[in-house]
Amino acid sequence: MIARRAPDEVMHLSRLGSLHQCRLSFMRQLTRRMARENWSFERRIFDIDVQGVGHAVYTATGPERAYSLIAFAHDLPDHLRSDRVIATAWDATFTLFDGIPEAADIDRLARNVPLQEAGRVSEKELSVSRANRSVRLWAHFVEALSQGRQPDLTRLEEVGYLMRTTAVYGSGKLGAADREVVAARAELQAPFQVEMLSVYLTRWFVRDLVEHMASAVGGDAAIGLDPAIANRVGIGNSTGLGMAPFIVNHPVLFNNWIMAREEAIAQVRSLPTASQDELACFQEIFRRSKTLVARWRTEHPVQIRKLTDLKRDLAALDWYLAKTDLTGPQPWDALMVWAQGHLSEEGQEFVASLILEPYGAMVDSLGHCMADAASDRHIIDGAMPVAQVRRLLENSFGWALDVDWQEPANCARVWYVSEEKLEPRLGERFEEPIAPYEQPLAPARDAAALHMLLAGYAAETPIAEVLLMHPEHRHSVRRAQISEFAPYGEIRSNTISQDVLPIDMLRAKLSFFGATHFDPRSDRWVRICMYAGAPYPEALTEANADFWVYPEAAP
Amino acid sequence: MTFALNEVEAMAKRAARGAGYSWGLAEEAAKATRWLCAQGQDGVGVLAVLLEARPAPESCPIAQGAHLSDCAARIPVDGFSVVNLVQPLVLLPFVAMAARRLQTVLTVECSGARAITDGAALWMEEALPDIAPRIRVMAAGTAQSDGPKATRARPDPAAWAILDSFAHRTYAPATEESRRLGAGAGLSDND
Repeated sequence: MIARRAPDEVMHLSRLGSLHQCRLSFMRQLTRRMARENWSFERRIFDIDVQGVGHAVYTATGPERAYSLIAFAHDLPDHLRSDRVIATAWDATFTLFDGIPEAADIDRLARNVPLQEAGRVSEKELSVSRANRSVRLWAHFVEALSQGRQPDLTRLEEVGYLMRTTAVYGSGKLGAADREVVAARAELQAPFQVEMLSVYLTRWFVRDLVEHMASAVGGDAAIGLDPAIANRVGIGNSTGLGMAPFIVNHPVLFNNWIMAREEAIAQVRSLPTASQDELACFQEIFRRSKTLVARWRTEHPVQIRKLTDLKRDLAALDWYLAKTDLTGPQPWDALMVWAQGHLSEEGQEFVASLILEPYGAMVDSLGHCMADAASDRHIIDGAMPVAQVRRLLENSFGWALDVDWQEPANCARVWYVSEEKLEPRLGERFEEPIAPYEQPLAPARDAAALHMLLAGYAAETPIAEVLLMHPEHRHSVRRAQISEFAPYGEIRSNTISQDVLPIDMLRAKLSFFGATHFDPRSDRWVRICMYAGAPYPEALTEANADFWVYPEAAP
Repeated sequence: MTFALNEVEAMAKRAARGAGYSWGLAEEAAKATRWLCAQGQDGVGVLAVLLEARPAPESCPIAQGAHLSDCAARIPVDGFSVVNLVQPLVLLPFVAMAARRLQTVLTVECSGARAITDGAALWMEEALPDIAPRIRVMAAGTAQSDGPKATRARPDPAAWAILDSFAHRTYAPATEESRRLGAGAGLSDND
């Protein structure tokens, strides 16, 4: 049995910032389940005027329950369009309702959901979200369809989506139901299924809305969107710093995501041989994945370089496969070892995700392990001796103990929350007066300080005695104890250095959602694409519920 | 207005931090407040009173509660006492954490009032006083039938506003530079 890759190998930010979606991604878990369980879908209401203002209701019904996306469409002036948290108006706003809403529910939500953070929802709602148009692509689609033409594929490829979500709030935010209220439902057990379902239904709404607007403009001359083009339209997402604290603040959950993927990789690497069917599946998905990469657009210099590396890596992989044809012993392990020696981190992680594809029967059940169900993991064991806490700190943060944390380059940044709509931000410690507001998002620095303090205590001293005198280290002790059972819970890079790229943290999280086409807008802001290529609800079958992420057509 | 328990926990953590607790103790205060609300107790109200009272660590139920939970394995069979604690209700979530760790039922006695917890549920017939000269915690009591847990909190708006004002101390003031640079968005979203 090949072991899982060690946390020391996996948990560096540069690698986490090179992760790709895989079979375990939350979008793919959802579409597989909906197809397997033969969910039904219905557009119950579409009450939107010629200005594009109104509301719509889309219901998805599974074996036991129904969920409804309630969409509110707005007429947004351009000068108000912003993807940031500080925005106060959007092109469209949404909530995922638990069940089928009555008219009174819709009235109540119409007074609150368009306000987003300034409104309130109830325990009947599971998420709140909003989206903005891609101005140029939206205008092109409406114009073309209204004049009886199909939109230009090249222009679609430049953007990838007609609308991008700018926040999808779940888990009790703005008054919605806590995750704990619904986590026992089979269809919501895996992480972020509420949010992924909301976005899936949002894509359906956006297709209907663009056709509606084209019809409003063009009247009888307007035509519907070619299903093949509609299929390529994804839903975008625009994400800032809010996601970065999430993976630091949820070490058990983050561990479970990484560990499930690493376990899947290790199991596949351990297979003694690959069957003809498995090899054919891999070759087919690899071929299609080249189209996925070819369609990836970015203007950010860091991602341009990484994308260039990835394309070179794919050519190298072609050469490797022609040479070895994967018929030797432990072919997937041999491939991973070769990739490690020859490909960039982008390429290595691409291969790691790719080798899981032929093995749904083995890999997919690991999806159940990705939630964080054990609620008492935060309780500190005060009897643990100082020596053991030190060992745990050395395991996760051995690299950080010798770092000079006073050196400005090593602590240049401060994570903080602005009083302006509570927007998460990153500032310069030595240039702005923000240090008093620092959030605890530098676990490595804090671990090093605790490790130094503990050097002054006898090895067998219970950690509770230290904490009684030094409550300022309590969060670091908790994290150290969590790391004992969650070895992939800590990022093993400096999250406050002058070189830190927060987009690496965002990408790590987004890759598990199933996002593609990472397109950084700065070092702390990224746009992505979701569900591009996915079948719409009316076309969803078990045959197309899984591999939709890989385009079938040539680029 | 009702709040999700995740909202209560997030607000309590920021408020406790804003009131001067370490991040680790603020996390404890947040979990404790949430647990009280899930038991149908006024967790938000009692935390608001506590943060305004600013007790010294030796009479603070968050600091003492965290220590009690840390030392759960060493709780003597015949129990132990805590003296001069303010807002002893806040001690109960920590007693419950100890009960879960020890997998036993613990009883808290204080000025004639009694609370019993098996870690999951809380049974309490009369309210605990605002200040407890002496609290006795012991392995005793019987778990009774367990009612449903609350999934929402209904705090007094004034108490919620107190937590909000403490939480506000953790937010950096809005400046043009911070607005421009801090989120790193930079580009127009009208593309």
